[in-house]
Amino acid sequence: MGITVKNLVKSFDKKVILDNISFKVDDGKILSVVGFSGSGKSTVLKLISGLIEKDSGEIITSGGDIAMVFQYSALFDSLNVFDNISFALQERKDLRGKYTRKELEKIVAEKLELVGLSGIEEKFPSELSGGMQKRVSFARAIVTEPKIILYDEPTAGLDPISSTLIEDYIVRLKNETNAASIVVTHQMSTIRRTADSVLMLYNGHAVFEGSPEELCRENTPYTRQFVEATIDGPMKMN
Amino acid sequence: MKVYYKATYTYKFIRMFFQEFENIISTLGNVIMYGIELVKGLKNKPTTLKELMVQCARFGISSLPITLSIVGMTSVIVAMQVAGEMVKQGAGNYVGMLVAILMVREEAAIMAGFAIISMIGSSLASEIATMKVTEQIDAIRVLKVNPIHYLFTPRVFAGVLMMPLVVIISSLVGIIGGAIASNVVSGLSYKAYFDSVWFGLKMHDLQVCIIKSFAFGLVISLISCSCGMEARNGAKGVGQATTKAVVWSFVAIVIVDLIFAAACFY
Repeated sequence: MGITVKNLVKSFDKKVILDNISFKVDDGKILSVVGFSGSGKSTVLKLISGLIEKDSGEIITSGGDIAMVFQYSALFDSLNVFDNISFALQERKDLRGKYTRKELEKIVAEKLELVGLSGIEEKFPSELSGGMQKRVSFARAIVTEPKIILYDEPTAGLDPISSTLIEDYIVRLKNETNAASIVVTHQMSTIRRTADSVLMLYNGHAVFEGSPEELCRENTPYTRQFVEATIDGPMKMN
Repeated sequence: MKVYYKATYTYKFIRMFFQEFENIISTLGNVIMYGIELVKGLKNKPTTLKELMVQCARFGISSLPITLSIVGMTSVIVAMQVAGEMVKQGAGNYVGMLVAILMVREEAAIMAGFAIISMIGSSLASEIATMKVTEQIDAIRVLKVNPIHYLFTPRVFAGVLMMPLVVIISSLVGIIGGAIASNVVSGLSYKAYFDSVWFGLKMHDLQVCIIKSFAFGLVISLISCSCGMEARNGAKGVGQATTKAVVWSFVAIVIVDLIFAAACFY
Protein backbone atom coordinates (compact mmCIF):
# COMPACT_ATOMS: atom_id res chain seq x y z
CA MET A 1 0.00 0.00 0.00
CA GLY A 2 2.88 2.40 0.73
CA ILE A 3 2.05 6.07 1.13
CA THR A 4 -0.90 7.93 -0.33
CA VAL A 5 -1.05 11.69 0.09
CA LYS A 6 -4.20 13.54 -0.94
CA ASN A 7 -4.71 17.30 -1.15
CA LEU A 8 -2.10 18.07 1.49
CA VAL A 9 -2.05 21.68 2.69
CA LYS A 10 0.41 23.21 5.15
CA SER A 11 1.06 26.85 6.05
CA PHE A 12 3.50 28.51 8.40
CA ASP A 13 2.59 32.00 9.68
CA LYS A 14 -0.05 32.42 6.97
CA LYS A 15 2.47 31.52 4.24
CA VAL A 16 1.29 28.51 2.26
CA ILE A 17 4.16 26.02 1.98
CA LEU A 18 2.26 23.11 0.48
CA ASP A 19 -0.90 23.76 -1.49
CA ASN A 20 -3.02 20.76 -2.41
CA ILE A 21 -0.24 18.25 -2.96
CA SER A 22 -1.18 14.68 -3.90
CA PHE A 23 1.00 11.68 -4.70
CA LYS A 24 1.34 7.96 -4.12
CA VAL A 25 4.33 5.73 -3.42
CA ASP A 26 3.90 1.95 -3.56
CA ASP A 27 5.78 -0.55 -1.42
CA GLY A 28 9.25 -1.22 -2.79
CA LYS A 29 9.28 2.04 -4.77
CA ILE A 30 11.21 5.28 -4.35
CA LEU A 31 9.77 8.73 -4.97
CA SER A 32 12.20 11.62 -5.33
CA VAL A 33 10.86 14.98 -4.21
CA VAL A 34 12.81 17.78 -5.84
CA GLY A 35 12.64 21.55 -6.00
CA PHE A 36 14.23 24.77 -4.80
CA SER A 37 15.30 25.26 -1.22
CA GLY A 38 12.22 26.38 0.70
CA SER A 39 9.81 24.76 -1.75
CA GLY A 40 8.36 22.53 0.99
CA LYS A 41 10.20 19.28 0.28
CA SER A 42 11.34 18.65 3.85
CA THR A 43 7.90 19.74 5.09
CA VAL A 44 6.40 16.81 3.17
CA LEU A 45 8.66 14.41 5.08
CA LYS A 46 7.95 16.05 8.43
CA LEU A 47 4.21 15.79 7.79
CA ILE A 48 4.40 12.11 6.84
CA SER A 49 6.62 11.28 9.82
CA GLY A 50 4.24 13.12 12.16
CA LEU A 51 6.78 15.70 13.31
CA ILE A 52 4.39 18.47 12.32
CA GLU A 53 0.63 18.62 11.89
CA LYS A 54 -1.04 19.16 8.52
CA ASP A 55 -3.60 21.92 7.99
CA SER A 56 -5.77 19.73 5.78
CA GLY A 57 -5.60 16.79 3.42
CA GLU A 58 -4.97 13.11 3.96
CA ILE A 59 -1.85 11.04 4.58
CA ILE A 60 -2.55 7.33 4.38
CA THR A 61 0.29 4.97 5.21
CA SER A 62 0.50 1.20 5.17
CA GLY A 63 0.89 0.99 8.95
CA GLY A 64 4.03 -0.17 10.68
CA ASP A 65 6.93 2.08 11.48
CA ILE A 66 8.02 5.16 9.60
CA ALA A 67 11.77 5.77 9.57
CA MET A 68 13.50 8.99 8.69
CA VAL A 69 17.09 9.72 7.73
CA PHE A 70 17.88 13.33 8.54
CA GLN A 71 19.89 15.74 6.39
CA TYR A 72 22.82 15.89 8.83
CA SER A 73 22.26 12.36 10.18
CA ALA A 74 21.02 13.59 13.59
CA LEU A 75 22.92 10.85 15.40
CA PHE A 76 22.84 11.16 19.19
CA ASP A 77 26.31 12.50 19.82
CA SER A 78 26.45 11.39 23.45
CA LEU A 79 25.75 7.75 22.50
CA ASN A 80 28.02 5.34 20.67
CA VAL A 81 27.06 3.67 17.40
CA PHE A 82 25.63 0.61 19.18
CA ASP A 83 23.33 2.71 21.38
CA ASN A 84 22.39 4.95 18.45
CA ILE A 85 21.27 2.03 16.31
CA SER A 86 19.57 0.11 19.11
CA PHE A 87 18.02 3.29 20.57
CA ALA A 88 14.44 2.49 19.54
CA LEU A 89 14.78 -1.13 20.70
CA GLN A 90 16.08 -0.02 24.09
CA GLU A 91 13.93 3.03 24.74
CA ARG A 92 10.64 2.63 22.91
CA LYS A 93 7.80 1.84 25.29
CA ASP A 94 6.54 -1.18 23.33
CA LEU A 95 10.02 -2.61 22.66
CA ARG A 96 11.84 -1.90 25.93
CA GLY A 97 13.02 -5.09 27.61
CA LYS A 98 11.96 -7.22 24.66
CA TYR A 99 15.53 -7.92 23.55
CA THR A 100 18.46 -9.25 25.54
CA ARG A 101 21.85 -7.60 25.21
CA LYS A 102 23.02 -10.48 23.00
CA GLU A 103 20.02 -10.09 20.69
CA LEU A 104 20.60 -6.35 20.47
CA GLU A 105 24.26 -6.94 19.59
CA LYS A 106 23.20 -9.37 16.84
CA ILE A 107 20.61 -6.97 15.39
CA VAL A 108 23.03 -4.02 15.43
CA ALA A 109 25.77 -6.12 13.81
CA GLU A 110 23.33 -7.18 11.06
CA LYS A 111 22.26 -3.61 10.35
CA LEU A 112 25.83 -2.36 10.34
CA GLU A 113 26.80 -5.11 7.92
CA LEU A 114 23.93 -4.06 5.68
CA VAL A 115 25.37 -0.56 5.43
CA GLY A 116 28.94 -1.83 5.11
CA LEU A 117 30.20 -0.65 8.50
CA SER A 118 30.80 -3.78 10.56
CA GLY A 119 32.76 -3.48 13.80
CA ILE A 120 32.25 0.20 14.63
CA GLU A 121 29.75 -0.34 17.48
CA GLU A 122 31.92 1.31 20.11
CA LYS A 123 32.74 4.43 18.12
CA PHE A 124 31.04 7.76 18.77
CA PRO A 125 29.49 9.85 15.95
CA SER A 126 32.26 12.45 16.25
CA GLU A 127 34.79 9.75 15.31
CA LEU A 128 33.02 8.99 12.00
CA SER A 129 33.15 10.72 8.61
CA GLY A 130 30.03 12.39 7.17
CA GLY A 131 29.37 9.44 4.88
CA MET A 132 29.77 6.93 7.72
CA GLN A 133 27.46 8.97 9.96
CA LYS A 134 24.88 8.91 7.19
CA ARG A 135 25.16 5.14 6.86
CA VAL A 136 24.86 4.69 10.64
CA SER A 137 21.70 6.80 10.49
CA PHE A 138 20.43 4.42 7.75
CA ALA A 139 21.11 1.49 10.08
CA ARG A 140 19.32 3.28 12.93
CA ALA A 141 16.35 4.00 10.67
CA ILE A 142 15.84 0.39 9.56
CA VAL A 143 16.35 -1.24 12.95
CA THR A 144 12.59 -1.52 13.56
CA GLU A 145 11.91 -2.93 10.07
CA PRO A 146 9.96 0.13 8.88
CA LYS A 147 7.43 0.03 6.07
CA ILE A 148 8.22 3.58 5.05
CA ILE A 149 11.65 5.22 4.85
CA LEU A 150 12.03 8.97 4.40
CA TYR A 151 15.37 10.46 3.36
CA ASP A 152 15.97 14.20 3.79
CA GLU A 153 18.73 15.19 1.36
CA PRO A 154 20.78 12.07 2.04
CA THR A 155 23.74 13.12 -0.11
CA ALA A 156 23.96 16.74 1.08
CA GLY A 157 27.50 17.73 1.98
CA LEU A 158 29.09 14.51 0.73
CA ASP A 159 31.76 14.07 -1.92
CA PRO A 160 30.65 12.47 -5.23
CA ILE A 161 31.99 9.02 -4.35
CA SER A 162 30.34 8.97 -0.93
CA SER A 163 27.15 10.25 -2.59
CA THR A 164 27.18 7.34 -5.03
CA LEU A 165 27.74 4.93 -2.15
CA ILE A 166 24.81 6.42 -0.24
CA GLU A 167 22.62 6.23 -3.36
CA ASP A 168 23.51 2.56 -3.73
CA TYR A 169 22.57 1.92 -0.12
CA ILE A 170 19.21 3.67 -0.59
CA VAL A 171 18.40 1.24 -3.41
CA ARG A 172 19.79 -1.68 -1.42
CA LEU A 173 17.66 -0.84 1.61
CA LYS A 174 14.60 -0.54 -0.60
CA ASN A 175 15.26 -4.02 -1.98
CA GLU A 176 16.01 -5.51 1.45
CA THR A 177 13.03 -3.98 3.26
CA ASN A 178 10.51 -3.54 0.41
CA ALA A 179 9.65 -0.24 2.08
CA ALA A 180 8.02 2.68 0.30
CA SER A 181 10.69 5.41 0.26
CA ILE A 182 10.71 9.14 -0.33
CA VAL A 183 14.02 10.83 -1.09
CA VAL A 184 14.18 14.61 -0.89
CA THR A 185 17.09 15.77 -2.99
CA HIS A 186 18.53 18.52 -5.16
CA GLN A 187 20.84 16.29 -7.10
CA MET A 188 20.09 14.83 -10.51
CA SER A 189 22.53 11.97 -9.86
CA THR A 190 20.50 10.86 -6.83
CA ILE A 191 17.31 11.02 -8.86
CA ARG A 192 18.79 9.02 -11.74
CA ARG A 193 20.29 6.34 -9.50
CA THR A 194 17.51 5.88 -6.96
CA ALA A 195 14.10 7.15 -8.06
CA ASP A 196 11.25 5.24 -9.59
CA SER A 197 9.24 8.46 -9.82
CA VAL A 198 9.81 12.16 -9.31
CA LEU A 199 7.68 14.93 -7.82
CA MET A 200 8.82 18.51 -8.41
CA LEU A 201 7.59 21.23 -6.07
CA TYR A 202 7.68 24.97 -6.62
CA ASN A 203 6.01 27.59 -4.44
CA GLY A 204 3.96 24.93 -2.71
CA HIS A 205 2.62 23.40 -5.93
CA ALA A 206 3.49 20.19 -7.73
CA VAL A 207 4.82 21.33 -11.12
CA PHE A 208 5.94 17.91 -12.35
CA GLU A 209 5.19 14.29 -11.59
CA GLY A 210 6.58 11.39 -13.58
CA SER A 211 9.55 9.09 -14.01
CA PRO A 212 13.19 10.28 -13.97
CA GLU A 213 13.35 9.66 -17.72
CA GLU A 214 10.28 11.85 -18.26
CA LEU A 215 11.86 14.54 -16.10
CA CYS A 216 14.89 14.63 -18.41
CA ARG A 217 12.82 14.29 -21.57
CA GLU A 218 9.91 16.60 -20.82
CA ASN A 219 10.24 20.05 -22.25
CA THR A 220 8.27 22.18 -19.80
CA PRO A 221 9.98 25.36 -18.56
CA TYR A 222 10.17 23.99 -15.00
CA THR A 223 11.74 20.64 -15.86
CA ARG A 224 14.18 22.20 -18.35
CA GLN A 225 15.33 24.77 -15.84
CA PHE A 226 15.83 22.12 -13.13
CA VAL A 227 17.58 19.57 -15.33
CA GLU A 228 19.85 22.16 -16.96
CA ALA A 229 20.33 24.01 -13.67
CA THR A 230 19.94 27.45 -15.23
CA ILE A 231 19.04 30.70 -13.50
CA ASP A 232 16.72 31.77 -16.32
CA GLY A 233 13.32 30.19 -16.10
CA PRO A 234 10.00 30.31 -14.29
CA MET A 235 11.47 29.22 -10.93
CA LYS A 236 12.91 32.19 -9.04
CA MET A 237 14.87 32.08 -5.81
CA ASN A 238 13.06 33.83 -2.97
CA MET B 1 -1.09 51.21 -2.86
CA LYS B 2 0.41 50.24 0.48
CA VAL B 3 0.86 53.00 3.03
CA TYR B 4 3.69 52.52 5.52
CA TYR B 5 3.66 54.33 8.85
CA LYS B 6 6.85 54.96 10.73
CA ALA B 7 6.70 53.31 14.14
CA THR B 8 7.15 55.84 16.91
CA TYR B 9 9.40 55.14 19.88
CA THR B 10 6.38 54.98 22.15
CA TYR B 11 4.81 52.36 19.90
CA LYS B 12 8.06 50.37 19.77
CA PHE B 13 8.39 50.53 23.54
CA ILE B 14 4.81 49.33 24.09
CA ARG B 15 5.26 46.59 21.50
CA MET B 16 8.47 45.44 23.13
CA PHE B 17 6.80 45.42 26.52
CA PHE B 18 3.95 43.24 25.30
CA GLN B 19 6.32 40.94 23.42
CA GLU B 20 8.30 40.40 26.62
CA PHE B 21 5.07 39.80 28.52
CA GLU B 22 3.96 37.27 25.91
CA ASN B 23 7.39 35.64 26.13
CA ILE B 24 7.09 35.29 29.91
CA ILE B 25 3.61 33.78 29.68
CA SER B 26 4.59 31.33 26.92
CA THR B 27 7.76 30.22 28.76
CA LEU B 28 5.78 29.70 31.95
CA GLY B 29 3.16 27.77 29.99
CA ASN B 30 5.83 25.58 28.37
CA VAL B 31 7.49 24.79 31.71
CA ILE B 32 4.12 23.76 33.18
CA MET B 33 3.19 21.68 30.11
CA TYR B 34 6.54 19.89 30.12
CA GLY B 35 6.17 19.27 33.85
CA ILE B 36 2.74 17.70 33.31
CA GLU B 37 4.07 15.60 30.42
CA LEU B 38 6.96 14.45 32.62
CA VAL B 39 4.58 13.33 35.38
CA LYS B 40 2.36 11.54 32.85
CA GLY B 41 5.32 9.51 31.63
CA LEU B 42 6.41 8.30 35.05
CA LYS B 43 4.15 5.25 34.99
CA ASN B 44 6.19 3.82 32.10
CA LYS B 45 9.56 3.98 33.93
CA PRO B 46 11.03 6.29 31.31
CA THR B 47 14.61 6.13 32.52
CA THR B 48 17.15 3.61 33.75
CA LEU B 49 19.00 3.61 37.06
CA LYS B 50 22.26 3.95 35.14
CA GLU B 51 21.12 7.13 33.35
CA LEU B 52 19.76 8.52 36.63
CA MET B 53 23.12 7.89 38.31
CA VAL B 54 24.96 9.61 35.45
CA GLN B 55 22.78 12.69 35.85
CA CYS B 56 23.04 12.57 39.67
CA ALA B 57 26.83 12.54 39.39
CA ARG B 58 26.64 15.49 37.02
CA PHE B 59 24.25 17.42 39.26
CA GLY B 60 25.71 16.59 42.64
CA ILE B 61 29.33 15.58 42.39
CA SER B 62 30.60 17.80 39.59
CA SER B 63 28.95 20.91 41.02
CA LEU B 64 30.11 20.29 44.59
CA PRO B 65 33.59 21.90 44.51
CA ILE B 66 32.30 25.21 43.16
CA THR B 67 29.22 25.18 45.37
CA LEU B 68 31.25 24.46 48.50
CA SER B 69 33.76 27.15 47.59
CA ILE B 70 31.05 29.77 47.11
CA VAL B 71 29.06 28.86 50.24
CA GLY B 72 32.23 28.42 52.33
CA MET B 73 33.60 31.80 51.30
CA THR B 74 30.25 33.50 51.85
CA SER B 75 30.08 32.16 55.40
CA VAL B 76 33.66 33.25 56.06
CA ILE B 77 32.83 36.75 54.79
CA VAL B 78 29.71 36.94 56.96
CA ALA B 79 31.60 35.71 60.02
CA MET B 80 34.47 38.12 59.36
CA GLN B 81 32.04 41.03 59.07
CA VAL B 82 29.98 40.32 62.19
CA ALA B 83 32.10 38.23 64.59
CA GLY B 84 34.50 41.03 65.61
CA GLU B 85 31.71 43.53 66.25
CA MET B 86 29.50 41.05 68.07
CA VAL B 87 32.30 39.88 70.34
CA LYS B 88 33.16 43.52 71.10
CA GLN B 89 29.50 44.18 72.00
CA GLY B 90 29.41 41.11 74.22
CA ALA B 91 27.24 39.12 71.85
CA GLY B 92 29.92 36.59 70.90
CA ASN B 93 27.67 33.76 72.04
CA TYR B 94 25.30 34.54 69.21
CA VAL B 95 27.77 34.46 66.31
CA GLY B 96 27.40 30.73 65.68
CA MET B 97 23.63 30.99 65.83
CA LEU B 98 23.58 33.88 63.38
CA VAL B 99 25.86 32.20 60.85
CA ALA B 100 24.09 28.85 61.17
CA ILE B 101 20.60 30.30 60.77
CA LEU B 102 21.76 32.39 57.84
CA MET B 103 23.39 29.39 56.19
CA VAL B 104 20.65 26.84 56.78
CA ARG B 105 17.69 29.08 56.15
CA GLU B 106 19.00 31.07 53.20
CA GLU B 107 22.61 31.27 52.11
CA ALA B 108 23.44 27.63 51.47
CA ALA B 109 20.33 26.96 49.43
CA ILE B 110 20.38 30.16 47.43
CA MET B 111 24.15 30.15 46.81
CA ALA B 112 24.12 26.47 45.91
CA GLY B 113 21.16 27.23 43.66
CA PHE B 114 23.05 30.01 41.89
CA ALA B 115 26.14 27.83 41.50
CA ILE B 116 24.12 24.91 40.14
CA ILE B 117 22.19 27.14 37.74
CA SER B 118 25.45 28.55 36.40
CA MET B 119 27.13 25.17 36.06
CA ILE B 120 24.46 22.54 35.57
CA GLY B 121 21.35 24.46 34.52
CA SER B 122 23.19 26.17 31.68
CA SER B 123 24.74 22.87 30.60
CA LEU B 124 21.35 21.09 30.64
CA ALA B 125 19.78 23.87 28.58
CA SER B 126 22.59 24.02 26.03
CA GLU B 127 22.75 20.22 25.74
CA ILE B 128 19.03 19.88 24.99
CA ALA B 129 19.01 23.01 22.82
CA THR B 130 21.86 21.60 20.72
CA MET B 131 19.95 18.35 20.35
CA LYS B 132 16.93 20.37 19.26
CA VAL B 133 18.67 22.45 16.60
CA THR B 134 20.59 19.46 15.22
CA GLU B 135 17.33 17.51 14.78
CA GLN B 136 18.29 14.90 17.40
CA ILE B 137 15.02 15.58 19.24
CA ASP B 138 13.12 15.06 15.96
CA ALA B 139 15.03 11.81 15.49
CA ILE B 140 13.94 10.69 18.97
CA ARG B 141 10.32 11.50 18.07
CA VAL B 142 10.50 9.65 14.74
CA LEU B 143 11.85 6.61 16.61
CA LYS B 144 8.63 6.80 18.66
CA VAL B 145 10.32 7.70 21.93
CA ASN B 146 8.90 10.63 23.87
CA PRO B 147 11.80 13.12 24.22
CA ILE B 148 10.27 14.69 27.34
CA HIS B 149 10.15 11.35 29.10
CA TYR B 150 13.54 10.24 27.83
CA LEU B 151 15.51 13.45 28.38
CA PHE B 152 13.70 15.26 31.18
CA THR B 153 13.06 12.40 33.62
CA PRO B 154 16.65 11.52 34.62
CA ARG B 155 17.72 15.16 34.64
CA VAL B 156 14.80 16.48 36.68
CA PHE B 157 14.97 13.57 39.14
CA ALA B 158 18.70 14.05 39.52
CA GLY B 159 18.05 17.72 40.30
CA VAL B 160 15.40 16.91 42.88
CA LEU B 161 17.47 14.19 44.55
CA MET B 162 20.88 15.86 44.54
CA MET B 163 20.00 19.44 45.41
CA PRO B 164 19.18 18.68 49.10
CA LEU B 165 22.43 16.75 49.42
CA VAL B 166 24.43 19.62 47.95
CA VAL B 167 22.66 22.13 50.20
CA ILE B 168 23.17 20.05 53.38
CA ILE B 169 26.89 19.61 52.67
CA SER B 170 27.15 23.30 51.77
CA SER B 171 25.44 24.30 55.02
CA LEU B 172 27.87 22.20 57.02
CA VAL B 173 30.85 23.68 55.18
CA GLY B 174 29.37 27.15 55.67
CA ILE B 175 28.96 26.65 59.44
CA ILE B 176 32.48 25.24 59.77
CA GLY B 177 33.87 28.09 57.64
CA GLY B 178 32.10 30.56 59.93
CA ALA B 179 33.64 28.89 63.00
CA ILE B 180 37.17 29.16 61.60
CA ALA B 181 36.69 32.77 60.50
CA SER B 182 35.19 33.77 63.87
CA ASN B 183 38.05 32.13 65.70
CA VAL B 184 40.69 33.79 63.54
CA VAL B 185 39.10 37.26 63.44
CA SER B 186 37.81 37.61 66.98
CA GLY B 187 39.33 34.73 68.90
CA LEU B 188 35.88 33.23 69.53
CA SER B 189 36.34 29.69 70.81
CA TYR B 190 35.03 26.80 68.76
CA LYS B 191 33.10 25.55 71.77
CA ALA B 192 31.26 28.86 72.18
CA TYR B 193 30.56 28.99 68.44
CA PHE B 194 29.17 25.47 68.17
CA ASP B 195 27.20 25.78 71.43
CA SER B 196 25.55 28.80 69.88
CA VAL B 197 24.88 26.87 66.65
CA TRP B 198 23.35 24.02 68.64
CA PHE B 199 21.21 26.43 70.64
CA GLY B 200 20.03 28.52 67.72
CA LEU B 201 19.35 25.98 65.02
CA LYS B 202 15.96 24.29 65.16
CA MET B 203 14.75 21.11 63.46
CA HIS B 204 12.17 23.25 61.67
CA ASP B 205 15.02 25.17 59.97
CA LEU B 206 16.53 21.93 58.67
CA GLN B 207 13.18 20.59 57.49
CA VAL B 208 12.41 23.78 55.57
CA CYS B 209 15.95 23.80 54.15
CA ILE B 210 15.58 20.26 52.79
CA ILE B 211 12.07 20.78 51.38
CA LYS B 212 13.18 24.06 49.80
CA SER B 213 16.17 22.30 48.24
CA PHE B 214 13.88 19.73 46.63
CA ALA B 215 11.85 22.61 45.19
CA PHE B 216 15.01 24.38 43.96
CA GLY B 217 16.26 21.20 42.28
CA LEU B 218 12.92 20.70 40.56
CA VAL B 219 12.65 24.31 39.42
CA ILE B 220 16.22 24.57 38.13
CA SER B 221 16.23 21.30 36.20
CA LEU B 222 12.72 21.67 34.79
CA ILE B 223 13.23 25.25 33.63
CA SER B 224 16.65 24.48 32.16
CA CYS B 225 15.39 21.45 30.22
CA SER B 226 12.27 23.33 29.08
CA CYS B 227 14.22 26.33 27.80
CA GLY B 228 16.56 23.98 25.93
CA MET B 229 13.60 22.21 24.39
CA GLU B 230 12.23 25.50 23.02
CA ALA B 231 15.46 26.42 21.22
CA ARG B 232 15.39 27.16 17.51
CA ASN B 233 17.51 28.88 14.85
CA GLY B 234 20.90 27.23 15.19
CA ALA B 235 23.82 28.31 17.35
CA LYS B 236 22.21 31.66 18.19
CA GLY B 237 19.13 29.81 19.44
CA VAL B 238 21.27 27.59 21.66
CA GLY B 239 22.85 30.69 23.23
CA GLN B 240 19.46 32.33 23.71
CA ALA B 241 17.98 29.20 25.27
CA THR B 242 20.91 28.91 27.68
CA THR B 243 20.65 32.56 28.71
CA LYS B 244 16.92 32.22 29.15
CA ALA B 245 17.34 29.10 31.29
CA VAL B 246 19.85 30.82 33.56
CA VAL B 247 17.83 34.03 33.95
CA TRP B 248 14.54 32.21 34.50
CA SER B 249 16.07 29.81 36.98
CA PHE B 250 17.62 32.68 38.97
CA VAL B 251 14.29 34.50 39.12
CA ALA B 252 12.36 31.31 39.89
CA ILE B 253 14.49 30.24 42.85
CA VAL B 254 14.31 33.71 44.35
CA ILE B 255 10.52 33.59 44.04
CA VAL B 256 10.41 30.08 45.53
CA ASP B 257 12.70 31.26 48.34
CA LEU B 258 10.42 34.19 49.03
CA ILE B 259 7.39 31.89 49.18
CA PHE B 260 9.16 29.55 51.60
CA ALA B 261 10.36 32.43 53.76
CA ALA B 262 6.86 33.88 53.94
CA ALA B 263 5.14 30.54 54.49
CA CYS B 264 7.54 28.94 56.97
CA PHE B 265 9.06 31.69 59.06
CA TYR B 266 6.38 34.36 59.36
